[in-house]
Amino acid sequence: MRSVQMEHISYTYPTGTKALHDISLEIEEGSTVALLGANGAGKSTLMDLLLGWKHSQGIKLFDKPLSSYGRKELGRCMALVPQSENYNFSFTLLDYTLFGRAPYLSEMGSPTENDVDIAYEALKEVGLASYAKRSITSLSGGEHQLLLLSRAIAQQSKVLLLDEPTSALDPANRQKVMKILEHLHEQKKTLIFTTHDANLAYELATHVAMLKQGNLLCFGTKEEVVTTEMLTTLYETKMTVCSIGEKTLIY
Amino acid sequence: MNSSIYKQEQKRNRIILLLLCFILLVLSFLFLFAGRYPKGGFTFVKNLSENSMMKNIIVNVRLPRILLAIMAGAILSAAGFTFQMLFSNPLVEPGFLGVSQGAAFGAALVIVAGSGSSIMIQLSASFFGLLALGSSYFLAKKFRFGGWLLRLVLSGIAISAIFSSGLGVIKLVAEPTKDLQDITFWMMGGLWNSNWNQIFSIIPVVVFCLLVIYSYRWKLNLLSLQEKTAYSVGLNPKRDRTILLLVATIGTTLTISITGLIGWVGLIMPHLSRKLFGSDSKAALPGSMVMGALFLLLCDTIGRTVLATEIPIGLLTSFIGATIFIIILSLRHQEGKA
Repeated sequence: MRSVQMEHISYTYPTGTKALHDISLEIEEGSTVALLGANGAGKSTLMDLLLGWKHSQGIKLFDKPLSSYGRKELGRCMALVPQSENYNFSFTLLDYTLFGRAPYLSEMGSPTENDVDIAYEALKEVGLASYAKRSITSLSGGEHQLLLLSRAIAQQSKVLLLDEPTSALDPANRQKVMKILEHLHEQKKTLIFTTHDANLAYELATHVAMLKQGNLLCFGTKEEVVTTEMLTTLYETKMTVCSIGEKTLIY
Repeated sequence: MNSSIYKQEQKRNRIILLLLCFILLVLSFLFLFAGRYPKGGFTFVKNLSENSMMKNIIVNVRLPRILLAIMAGAILSAAGFTFQMLFSNPLVEPGFLGVSQGAAFGAALVIVAGSGSSIMIQLSASFFGLLALGSSYFLAKKFRFGGWLLRLVLSGIAISAIFSSGLGVIKLVAEPTKDLQDITFWMMGGLWNSNWNQIFSIIPVVVFCLLVIYSYRWKLNLLSLQEKTAYSVGLNPKRDRTILLLVATIGTTLTISITGLIGWVGLIMPHLSRKLFGSDSKAALPGSMVMGALFLLLCDTIGRTVLATEIPIGLLTSFIGATIFIIILSLRHQEGKA
């Protein structure tokens, strides 16, 4: 089943700048897709369109037009893991993870015991359950990223949109995040993430969409599209894809 | 097991909140007998029906005043709490978007124009308070740089400055023996003019504003996040923020149109409430409302009983509020928090 379908998507900013031009792609349920491109390629704009944050016709989610989804219904289908978040109040990790339960609550409702249990499970999944009562202001950068993931996991949606999920992490935390994402992939979640790191895209994704100056350069399985020629075209600099044993290295 | 810990905390918060409500009720009752008649301090009257003067003072002077103090404290701290969450900034209050300065300008304008009836002051203060909010919002939309929050902050500063200078001009031309005094007293805040007519004129709207803010008590958490994140968990942040900004501003301007400017309540009470109840606004918002009501009730009672002459409540809230603020900041510094 297709989880996301885009047909001839274009987007122009109110200032007149063209961000995306005629993008068409289909994402199968349970696949992990990397939106790969240089800075300013249109990756974040495409994510915003998928989220419904920016509007464009021609996007379908589980064969239903995105525009026909209600706000909460969409929140139950799709979760966002932003690059960073406002942390100006000392919420506990549990408080913050519970925010992911909002799409399941009534208009003015608040979390139930069941929501608390789900939030604890999400914290457990990212390894932060023992810090549930700690303040989010006391977390390290890596723990922040894990917390953002736990909120999205608590949202129990089938599709997760991740904006540069490992860009600000040290190698140890990067590995942690990647393991969690692999685990989510095993649970048949559809993961769509932006990155400019070709190694991460190859390591994590099943499919890669390369974006260049608002255009879709190519889309396919990573083995098909992550090649020396395509990457060199994408980044306009000499790139090499080589295999060392079972590993693939891109530099 | 996990949810039981959460439940215990919720129970603890409910008990503290009920305790605060109980203290508020007891103090409200006791303060009915505090004042300067028949003598300074507390005077308990055994049989009120036999003392018509005392009955009149309690029913028509002290009771509306106490109710106004409670209502004003609750709405000012609720509005402050709301602004802090909406702007994701714990140092914000309704004055932030020029609301207080706009209301002060509106009140002063009516006082100088000579039609200083309380209803005209209320209307004018409310109108200019809302105008200030609308102008700040409109300007922020027109600015073409920075994020939404930064644009709002800058437009709020500009609008506040414009209304402040307008207020300065009004004070300059005000008749010094009457109008200037009225404006000065209004700006220092006070509940000495409170009566049932004033209470009834604002109570439906203020209670409505309080109820709307209260109904958003958990959602306010989500509205403190980035707008895109709030959107991704199923909210309509633009609509919710507009509703909350409007009710918080209307509640504030209507209240200060009667009480005059009362600062620091909306800034300090949310801070204290978060210290007591935690940052989750589901508990901290109602806590802030009750603590604000208690704070203003205490300040007003001190103001009308301690000295032979009344101390304007705005001066007391500023003095006590600033002192608490310094203590909070010192403690936070010691804890090593930003």
